[in-house]
Amino acid sequence: MSGALLLLATLGTSLVAAVVIFLLPERAFRARTGINLGAALVKLSLVAWMVWGLSHGREYVIEFPVLEGLAFVLRADDLGIMFAGLSSLLWLLTTIYAIGYLEDSPNRKRFFGFFGLCVASTLGISLAGNLFTFLVFYELLTLSTYPLVVHRGTSKALAAGKVYLRFTLTAGMGLMVGMVILHVLAGDIRFGEREILAELGPERRPLLVGLFWVLIAGFGVKAALVPLHGWLPRAMVAPAPVSALLHAVAVVKAGAFGIVRLVYDVYGIELSAELGLLYGLVVVASVTILFGSLRALAQQELKPRLAYSTVSQVSYIVLGIGLFGPLGTIAALSHLLHQGLMKITLFFCAGNYAEELGIHRIDELDGAGRRMPLTSLAFTVGALGMIGLPPVVGFLSKWYLGTGAIQAGMPWVIIVLVASSLLNAAYFLPVLGRLWFRPGPDHGVGAWPEERRLGRLETHGWLLVPAVATALFSLMAGMLAGMPFSPLEWATRVVNAEYLP
Amino acid sequence: MSLSGELLAAGLLVVLAASCLLDRYLPRACLAFIAFALLMALAWWRLGAPWLALAEAVMGALLTGMALFHGLGRPGSRSPLPPRDHEGRPRHQAPVRWLAALIWLALAGMAVWGVPGSGEVAASAEVARRPLLVAGLAIMALGLWAFAHHHHLLRRLLAFNVLGSGVFLLLAGLAGPVVEVQGLILVGLMVALVGSVLGAALLRRLHALDGRVTLETGPETTP
Amino acid sequence: MSAPLDAPPSVEAVVLWLALLAPPLLGLAAWRLPPRRMLPVLLVGTPLPLATLWLLHRVSVGGGLEGAWSLAGLRLHWHLDGLAGLLLLLTQLLLLASAAYAVGHRRAAAVPERTFALFWPLLGGLAAALGLIWVAADLLTLYAALELMGLTAVGMMLLPGTGEALLAGMRYLLYALVGSLAWLLGVALLLGATGRLDLAGLAAASEPGAVTGIAMALLAAGLLLKAAIFPLHGWLVPVHASAWTPVSALHGALVVKASFFILMQLWQRLVPEAVAAAWLLGLLGSLAVLWGGLQACRASALKQVVAWSTVGQLGYLMLAFPLLAGTSAAVATLAWQATWLQLAGHALAKAAMFMAAGNLVLADGVSRLTDLAGACRQLPLALMTFGIAAVTLMGLPPSAGFTAKWLLLQAAILAGQWPWVVVLVVGTLLTATYVFRVFRCAFVEASPRHEVRPLPAGMDLVALLLALAALGLGLGAEWPLALLREEGMP
Repeated sequence: MSGALLLLATLGTSLVAAVVIFLLPERAFRARTGINLGAALVKLSLVAWMVWGLSHGREYVIEFPVLEGLAFVLRADDLGIMFAGLSSLLWLLTTIYAIGYLEDSPNRKRFFGFFGLCVASTLGISLAGNLFTFLVFYELLTLSTYPLVVHRGTSKALAAGKVYLRFTLTAGMGLMVGMVILHVLAGDIRFGEREILAELGPERRPLLVGLFWVLIAGFGVKAALVPLHGWLPRAMVAPAPVSALLHAVAVVKAGAFGIVRLVYDVYGIELSAELGLLYGLVVVASVTILFGSLRALAQQELKPRLAYSTVSQVSYIVLGIGLFGPLGTIAALSHLLHQGLMKITLFFCAGNYAEELGIHRIDELDGAGRRMPLTSLAFTVGALGMIGLPPVVGFLSKWYLGTGAIQAGMPWVIIVLVASSLLNAAYFLPVLGRLWFRPGPDHGVGAWPEERRLGRLETHGWLLVPAVATALFSLMAGMLAGMPFSPLEWATRVVNAEYLP
Repeated sequence: MSLSGELLAAGLLVVLAASCLLDRYLPRACLAFIAFALLMALAWWRLGAPWLALAEAVMGALLTGMALFHGLGRPGSRSPLPPRDHEGRPRHQAPVRWLAALIWLALAGMAVWGVPGSGEVAASAEVARRPLLVAGLAIMALGLWAFAHHHHLLRRLLAFNVLGSGVFLLLAGLAGPVVEVQGLILVGLMVALVGSVLGAALLRRLHALDGRVTLETGPETTP
Repeated sequence: MSAPLDAPPSVEAVVLWLALLAPPLLGLAAWRLPPRRMLPVLLVGTPLPLATLWLLHRVSVGGGLEGAWSLAGLRLHWHLDGLAGLLLLLTQLLLLASAAYAVGHRRAAAVPERTFALFWPLLGGLAAALGLIWVAADLLTLYAALELMGLTAVGMMLLPGTGEALLAGMRYLLYALVGSLAWLLGVALLLGATGRLDLAGLAAASEPGAVTGIAMALLAAGLLLKAAIFPLHGWLVPVHASAWTPVSALHGALVVKASFFILMQLWQRLVPEAVAAAWLLGLLGSLAVLWGGLQACRASALKQVVAWSTVGQLGYLMLAFPLLAGTSAAVATLAWQATWLQLAGHALAKAAMFMAAGNLVLADGVSRLTDLAGACRQLPLALMTFGIAAVTLMGLPPSAGFTAKWLLLQAAILAGQWPWVVVLVVGTLLTATYVFRVFRCAFVEASPRHEVRPLPAGMDLVALLLALAALGLGLGAEWPLALLREEGMP
């Protein structure tokens, strides 16, 4: 298969799946499940094929002109394929989870249709070859996630959707204006051609700095940088698979990935450092990390706690980008994947508790480890990873961030990291304590809020398998970090291309 | 054609237009309009445009007149319009309309002053056509005033027709009775006729439906 | 009647005039034999866009066509360039879509066949008028076509025969008639000053000065009134809200745009350098964007939202004037492409949106926004179509509205005219506000279920196709835009 065709096929898989799902009637449960899983598998294998091809030096590009001097470009590069791999792997797992989660609930057709569109947009973001294409898919992502956020149709969900749109659409307009200005300044900016902006004269420098912050604000809304994070905790009203997807893969990662692209591929790391932009980025990221952790500590419900934890954790990526030097970059890129794996595990588990036992608040979790051991084990793995304990993969991210900070000459960042780890421990360890060490209804104390025996296992199989799988992936990515095609190894490969011309 | 004859005709046109627009007794106003249209036809004939004169007589006087009287409704027919316009004048939109009308008039006047100086119009014809221009402006002013001022739909239709005739006169006065002008006026006459017929028919239907003779949204129809 | 041209007519000219004159004949035929199904309508109509495609191909190869008719001493000029051809194609596609939709609408809304038969000749007349406007090259033809368009449009508005429609139609009629008189007076001044009526001759003979300026002001006033540009938009919303859906779709998509097209043609030829006046028009457009958006956010009925959205969206088109007047060639080229892309995208999307809204209202039996609750479950396709059309209106990717907005932004930034950037941003956010207000109402789950009337599938399909066309035009804009770029501006 030629490169262009492969790219189109990868993008088209979920698009076609979405369209077919929209065309199927609501009651066609089996056909829909088949299409969902089939498309996810096909897409995963196509992405795997491209990963293999890229490591053998193949090129995957397709482009056509949209306007004079502006093209629609899809291109698989090392950085993009990383994100594509993450999203297609987690799409498969989330689809499995969602099929179980939404059993017998209304509007499944709409849900899975937009779910497919959402993944197609995420893939488009990862494969975009220039800013224009990136923007196209970035905005499409906003549109396709809205129906997912308001899926339940309650007034709370609708209000959350309103806030979500207010944040993301405004940011989208900011991004668009910023990108048009960049286009006027420098023409069509392809990712991978790094010297375009650096060649502009010094009189353009202030404008470039201003534009950088406009664009960071645009991406920062989706990446939930403080103070632009307001929509994220509210969006928690969405069904659990949606939260998992929003928080682990699609939306926040799209924002973080946008910042990665902006710094490495649009401005170039040298120019960013020269303009003094990175330092600001590190400060913003540090504030977000600490603020998110503190807010998480204050939450009494499980999902909002995880949401604020996301706010904090995604900023590790931004922090890593801000640390000028290969180690920080490795940390940022690998954390893009690691955080996805760990966070989606946690959300799956939270969803499982809510579905099986009706648990939403943290103090209701007492003794749930006995009732749902596998789910609780998965949750434990995710939580320990977030805190940064080896051998879960979160440890690696923090290690590289710390060494990167020293390499970049910003040792104070270590303090931020330590503080954040302590805070992580402070808000995750009590949860683990309740899960495993407090007596609960299964020990004869109290009762579960709303117990439903969903399956022969501790809960529905469709719900359990993805949670355990992602927990295993998080463990494996940590233990097998030195193997080829592990996230860390691939991130190192990207960084080598970036820093060693 | 003598200047005095032109002056007389122009003066008569203005008088007829005024009486058509000022009369609150609607059948009489319609009659005045028919007389006005016939006089217009005469003016076209004297300007050397016999076909236009014929069109004006048939379309402007005969057919439009019939349409207007149809709009009034015969006294014996179902739901005839009251023959007198008793409409009050709600004030809220008036300033805007007045402003639009005044701007229109000022622009037209300025331009009419400006055109003969700069164009290719021959000087001899210019003098003969000057009464036409003045009459056109005056009739246009009357038509605009009436259109902005009246609310009764039939009177607004009359005002529109008079306004149109004023524009035709200006057109002929500015460019002479060349074939382009005749074409434009012919199209304009047809449009005015169709508009009047449609408007009169609509007025009848509206009156039959809920007894209204104006566009003003009364308290009962405010959304 | 009409003596043929000076030279024997070329094949292209014959095809063009056949394509222009066929719709009224077809309309008359349909008056006598009203079509009952969509398929025959589509089959009969399809040759027209195909012919136009062929003409476009000829134009892109051999340059524009032009010619003149001699009629009793009058010379009437016409010309077909890429822009006119593209607009003709757009018109034919939209007319075809509305014709097909109308057949379904008659059945679904149970309109008596006799009442509905009148729709067809009027549609044919409208088609001819629009076609003439795109190809006309002198003021007399333009005048006749403009009036034909206005009167057929009024006629179509009146067809429902309800008090509301009659009242709105009457208001529209009065406005249109007065607007045409303003236009005629402007023509009179130009004719008096230059003695010419053909556009090319006018462009050559007119010299910038008070008379040309005043004439242009009068022409512009008449056209702005007909194009419903703020603050002359008062007649638009009641008319759209009370007319039949295919009629309001056509009207919002094409009729108001035709006046804008004429205005642009005249402006570019007569006063291309009038910067202050152009800025005034841009300002009016900006106010239209804001006012239309705000009113759409406040409107309580679905069709009113769509109608107010037209008022707002037309404002974007007006931004072309300041970007074209006295700016560099690069800016002007960008703005020129942006304008026509925006026009085409909006035409397709607005027609689709009216049809989708009409489907929702017709099937659900309610017209208020708050009654839409649960529509997403019962009428997903209509709502989806509404959404896709809304993407274009909001100017979000990958729609034509997005590409056009990108171009407009680029032009405004390149020219340093920052106010328009603000207008574009605010307009987008306002549009998003009213669009998602509709969706918020439709997504509400806790609602009593009410009966949904089944509609012919074709109605949904036509609307969906139009919405998808607007979406596809975003990334597929290169072909039409290249055609526009090649021939440059008048």
